[in-house]
Amino acid sequence: MDPKVTLETQIEDLVQKFPEAVGFLTRKGIRCIRCGEPLWCTLGELLKEEGISQSQSVVDEMNEFLK
Amino acid sequence: MKKILEKLQLKDVNVGACAGPDDWFEDPAGEEIVSYNPTTGEPIAKVIQATEKTYEQVLNLAVEGFKAWRVMPAPKRGLIVRDLGEALREVKEPLGDLVTLEMGKIKAEGHGEVQEMIDICDFALGLSRQLYGLSMHSERPSHRMYEQWHPLGAIGVITAFNFPVAVWAWNAAIAAACGNTTVWKPSSETPLTAIAVQHIANRVMADHGLKGIFNTTIGRGAVVGERMINDPRLPLISFTGSTKMGRRVSEAVARRFGRTILELGGNNAVVVAEDADLEMAVRTILFGAVGTAGQRCTSTRRIIMHESIAKELADRIVNAYKQVNIGDPIEEGTLMGPLVTKGAVEDMMAALEKAKEQGGDVLFGGNRLPDLGEQFVKPTIVKMPGQTEIVHIETFAPILYLMEYTDIEEAIRLHNEVPQGLSSAIFTTNLLTAEKFLSHEGSDCGIANVNIGTSGAEIGGAFGGEKETGGGRESGSDAWKGYMRRQTNTINWSKELPLAQGIKFGD
Repeated sequence: MDPKVTLETQIEDLVQKFPEAVGFLTRKGIRCIRCGEPLWCTLGELLKEEGISQSQSVVDEMNEFLK
Repeated sequence: MKKILEKLQLKDVNVGACAGPDDWFEDPAGEEIVSYNPTTGEPIAKVIQATEKTYEQVLNLAVEGFKAWRVMPAPKRGLIVRDLGEALREVKEPLGDLVTLEMGKIKAEGHGEVQEMIDICDFALGLSRQLYGLSMHSERPSHRMYEQWHPLGAIGVITAFNFPVAVWAWNAAIAAACGNTTVWKPSSETPLTAIAVQHIANRVMADHGLKGIFNTTIGRGAVVGERMINDPRLPLISFTGSTKMGRRVSEAVARRFGRTILELGGNNAVVVAEDADLEMAVRTILFGAVGTAGQRCTSTRRIIMHESIAKELADRIVNAYKQVNIGDPIEEGTLMGPLVTKGAVEDMMAALEKAKEQGGDVLFGGNRLPDLGEQFVKPTIVKMPGQTEIVHIETFAPILYLMEYTDIEEAIRLHNEVPQGLSSAIFTTNLLTAEKFLSHEGSDCGIANVNIGTSGAEIGGAFGGEKETGGGRESGSDAWKGYMRRQTNTINWSKELPLAQGIKFGD
């Protein structure tokens, strides 16, 4: 089965479809909503900005969490 | 709910791109978004989002509209903005209710927000006769030098969910009086209020045979937002939102030498001195921290309290929180509604985990309220051992951090230590302490108050903040200058050609 979330997923879509992903990321020190609004970028772009080198493993872990 | 939607000309499915009374643009490729009521989780209505094609249609009319609007005398433009204010007065009740339905603030705040729109229209009418420039004495004989202010063009206005209509009005009314047209991208969480406002503006514009003055493009940030900030036809972008997004907007607009007005994050504190009127302080803190469920840019997030009154103040705040009626924001008597999205609830809970890890002691709340709905939480008070990492971060939720100080210097240091600089307040009955807080060695915020709280600004003052709040100013005072370009003019009414600085060139 295809993963629910990919590096190309827009944060706006992520937050709307999988709100529990917000807490998952925040607990890793990555905030994808600010002032109550989702960021305008993909998950991959956000992880890169946050200096996460193993971004695919974060996505895999997130998909496990969202199951 | 249906009656509210009908009064505001909203349908089950609405078009999200408009440039005037007969200029609603729909593209079959436009994706639908559903606007949900955060109180019940039920859908209210749908909106077809703007696409590249409909964005272009709107932009073209906004640019065209500017050519006619800029040559209309400013006082006449002011009269049209006055008509917009009158039209808003007529629909204050349903529009205020829609704000409550769509984003969850209580009814009194929803109606107050529409009143703010009306107030700024009144302000803009007066302003339209006061777009003053200075005149200077020229150093050259028989020369006159002065400056005048010209409109900029079509202006991009990007707003957030928490003030879904007032922030548009702050920008659009002032921009219009100054001779600009506006293109509005509202939050995707509150598209219906934007469409309702567009209908209201359209009726006013139809009365005057105008189009392209007030325009809306509803769409995702990654589509419409990015297009706007990179569009050289929008010489100014007024952005209200987070610091992180503001940085992105600022960089994109600066690359094309455009201008920005940035109204970004706040991390607002109230300092409560040993001589403060605690009764007043507690009432103010309650409104500032719990109002709009802690989702205002100006929400009170930190209390810096003198050690001698800390215990008593904390007890009083906890008691006040116990009285807060949480529930359906449309019901009279409710003081706090839901958070705007499920994601916002997750964000709050994750922040509270961090606060506890960093030594925070939860004095009140800290939990969800699932019996009321998925997006309801208890407003939360956390006593912190110091200003830890989480306290430096703005969490857009009703979390209030309490900290103690020993002397006023320490209070000001703690106050100014965070990266944001929007709003601030001190409660004291000591004139010297109050003046110190307001002085250049006091609060570093754009707004600094004495014996009133951090939120609830009036439209007459310039609104905005320093540091990571972005430095922009909106609304009253001379914020209008941000929506105009200054031109310095020198007129020689002699038969000579003297140069400045007494320079002789080829004489």
